[in-house]
Parts: sequence; C-alpha cells; structure tokens
Amino acid sequence: MASANKPINTDVPEKDVFALHFLQSLSNLRRQNTFNSPEKTNDRVKKIKKVAYVSMARAAGGTNRLWSRALLRRAAKENNKVVRFPRRKKRVTCLRRRRSNRRDPVEEEEAERLRNLVPGGGGMEISKLMEETAHYIKCLSMQVKVMQCLVDGLAPK
Amino acid sequence: MSSSRRSRQASSSSRINDDQITDLISKLRQSIPEIRQNRRSNTVSASKVLQETCNYIRNLNKEADDLSDRLSQLLETIDPNSPQAAIIRSLINE
Repeated sequence: MASANKPINTDVPEKDVFALHFLQSLSNLRRQNTFNSPEKTNDRVKKIKKVAYVSMARAAGGTNRLWSRALLRRAAKENNKVVRFPRRKKRVTCLRRRRSNRRDPVEEEEAERLRNLVPGGGGMEISKLMEETAHYIKCLSMQVKVMQCLVDGLAPK
Repeated sequence: MSSSRRSRQASSSSRINDDQITDLISKLRQSIPEIRQNRRSNTVSASKVLQETCNYIRNLNKEADDLSDRLSQLLETIDPNSPQAAIIRSLINE
C-alpha cells in the first residue's frame, strides 16, 4: 500500500497556542454565574476538564484531525448542539480504501483498547489509527503541560 | 521505552520528552506491518507498543483529571487582587 510509505505528519502547535485557547475558555467559564458557587465543586471540575479537552482539540486539530473532530462532535452533542464540519478533500479515497481493508481479527484484538482510548478511533483503519494516536498523544501531553504550568502559577507561594 | 523515567509524583512536571515520543511514534508505525504479517507468532513487541501507548494515554487522562481538580480548587479561592490573578488577566487579554 503506497500510503504506508508516506511520511506521517505529527506536528503539533507550540505550547502557547494551547495555553491561549485554554485560558480563553477558562475565562469564559468563570463568567458563568454558577461557576463560582462553592457547592458545585464536582460540576466545576467536570467543566474544567471538558474545557481542557475541547480547547486542546481546537488548538491542535481543529477540523483536520479525526480525533479532534470526534472530540468536538461529542462535546457538542453533550450540549445538544449540532456541529457541521466542512467536507474533507480526501473523502473518496478514504471510502475506497475502507472497502478493500477487511479487518483482521488478530490485529483488531490488540487495537481494540487503543480504539477505545482515542476519540473517533472506532471508525479508523489501523494505520490511520496509529497516526491519529501519535498526534493525540503529543497534543494531550502539551495540554497537560499547560495545565501544570497554570497550576504552578496559581498556587500560593 | 524507559518507563522508569516517568515520574510517579502527581505534581511533577517531568513528562515523556520529545525524543521518547518520536521513538514511540516510529515504533507505532513499525508495528503496523508487524501486526499484519505475524499473525500468531512474534506479536509481542507490537502488542507491547500498543499496550504502552494505551497506558500512556490513560496516565495522561488521569493527570488531566488531577490537574482539573487542582485548578478547580485554585480558581475558587483565587483572590482577584493577587498578583497571580493579574497575570492571568493579562494573559487572557493579550
């Protein structure tokens, strides 16, 4: 398969792109009235976590990555919103490839757990899954770094 | 993969660095043909890579959880007049 030899691009943006998206989303969160009430701690934690993943998806993948599309779609569904993505250019090639790639049960067994961990993994063909995983891992580490810096910056001396 | 380099402390800032990630990625790419060809035998290294990847993602998710928790606490008690708040404000307004 020719696509196996194509260089895979797993570049991610710089850390400050992630930081900016995250901080903007956080400040939007704080403007909500219910955000600062002390009783709703669990809600707040959940919201922060969701904001972290969504801002990461926006910063890093946007609509160009399968995992970020899946993540944003899932988040929008939770808010009962409908998300529309622009059509990807390579749509036809993808369909053709899928028909000729029957899934092998042995490699599926091993990839199953990975599919469950990467957003949108269930629909991907294995080599695409690897590529998306690599990008996802890089973005997730970057996002975690940003959050750690924020925590360090906010912690009382 | 030297998992020993990964710190056990929750608040540590040492993560897998870029070299290790590049290494992991090239291993991921290499393991694709291996999974395809070696049906029954010798899938150990490929499945190990997959397993490490899964564990790494799970760890990252857990760290994101913990950090969200800490951020929630810190944001709740942040004093609007403190220097930290001023920093955040200036970063956001930029």
